[in-house]
Amino acid sequence: MAKILIVDDEEHIRMLYQVELEDEGYEVVTAADGKDLVGRIEREKPDLVVLDIKMAGYNGLDLLQEVRNRFYDLPVILCSAYDSFRRDIKSIAADFYVVKSSDLTQLKRTIARALESVGHTKT
Amino acid sequence: MEFYEENPDKVSQADIVVGIPSYNEARFIPYPTQQASLGLVQFFRNYKSVIINVDNHSTDGTREAFFGTETEVPKIYISTPEGIVGKGANLRNLFRKVVELGAKACVVVDADLRSITPRWIKNLAEPVFQDFGFVAPLYVRHKYDGTITNSIGYPLTRSVFGRRVRQPIGGDVGFSGEMAKVFLEHPLWNPMVESYGVDIWMTIVAICQGVPICQSFLGRPKIHKTRDPASEVAPAFKEILGTVFTAMMHFTDYWRKIRWSRPTAIFGFGLGEVELPPPVEVKPQALYERFRQGLAQGMETWKEIFPQEVFSKVSEVAEMDPRRFDFPSDLWAKILFSGAVSYARSESERDRILDSLIPLYYGRVYSYVLRTQEMSMQQAEEYIEEQCTVFEEARPFLDERWPG
Repeated sequence: MAKILIVDDEEHIRMLYQVELEDEGYEVVTAADGKDLVGRIEREKPDLVVLDIKMAGYNGLDLLQEVRNRFYDLPVILCSAYDSFRRDIKSIAADFYVVKSSDLTQLKRTIARALESVGHTKT
Repeated sequence: MEFYEENPDKVSQADIVVGIPSYNEARFIPYPTQQASLGLVQFFRNYKSVIINVDNHSTDGTREAFFGTETEVPKIYISTPEGIVGKGANLRNLFRKVVELGAKACVVVDADLRSITPRWIKNLAEPVFQDFGFVAPLYVRHKYDGTITNSIGYPLTRSVFGRRVRQPIGGDVGFSGEMAKVFLEHPLWNPMVESYGVDIWMTIVAICQGVPICQSFLGRPKIHKTRDPASEVAPAFKEILGTVFTAMMHFTDYWRKIRWSRPTAIFGFGLGEVELPPPVEVKPQALYERFRQGLAQGMETWKEIFPQEVFSKVSEVAEMDPRRFDFPSDLWAKILFSGAVSYARSESERDRILDSLIPLYYGRVYSYVLRTQEMSMQQAEEYIEEQCTVFEEARPFLDERWPG
């Protein structure tokens, strides 16, 4: 069972994603901000991270670089309400970029694909 | 391989090497040599460094121009014997010297580079000191510069070998001393790699070696001797594509396990305003004519090497009105995959298979030019990314047909 870390400063997003992804069979942990994200990942050892971009006090694109440099093969999905950050060169360090929606179909599909890319199949 | 070396400062050890491969580049080589020296002094002052011109026995005074360029950093000149040409042959001499000097990092920059700044040296070497084994460049290129990269190198490297290296044939790279040893001793060395194939070969070998790869943003566009996309591409095309197909055969066990591509790390932000590259002139009509000229001869080979569904689609495309010409990405992916399969199956026909794909390449580039002519560079880049997604989704087509 894959473990997913959701990093988002909006509580309702964290709750929605947690409920829906746990229904899919994933183990889900959440973080409300980017504080000590690298340390958090070292402790929690998630198989995948879903990372918001615009968070109060934190820029998800900068956090992404720290995560990618430290955990080269950890899948990271950028998840933002804004499509425009897709054009920021920093975003290419992410596996995928998903625009937020109340319908999580696209996010779930992307998570499955990202996990498949590292040989993780859902059980 | 024999070589000739001049090492006037008797350099016997270095931490960083900047290698500049060349063949008759007397006019251009002073600039990258000078910039390399400035970069090494500015950013790596506490490291022992050396600049090495690895040359193909140039006859235009390249060696003199190199040594005649004033630098604070010592210089070494190494040449292949007379008659041996090819960037790969030059880089092989570089790999050997990097290993001999015990260097931790090596940067390679093209001798005709006019946009290099000292910061390029920093951005290509520093990731190596952060434990990246291979550093590929990320630079802004005009939408019509690098058509072989955009239509073949990048989509194939990404969809088959599973890493999103945007400029796998970049020419300006960094790598560790350990990777230099891997390159030097690698069994997958052949005449194609010795010539035009070496750049993409290094990228693929690094990917399959499993070392962490970084793409380093160089800010400035690559300004070099650009090529009109409609110009004769045969030697470069065949050697680059042949190198990829041969690598697919060698690394089958590696790439068969890949299903979706992964990103790399990125380096080199905060460079301020990004310059736009100069325009690259393209002649769409010439592209279309080269496509049409190759049809009659190509059809014979395509009937043998393509599955019926692919051959039918190619025939359909061949009949299209040039003003409404469209060469779908999915078809292009299946053409390249079918070509790879046939190449792997038939040793005696490899040259003919590669030759037969050239007119289709022109057709694909013609279609790309029509599609992107009103697009900004950013929009064209998004189109190239969509193309790569199509390649990845077409992977089962390759997997089902690959021998063994």
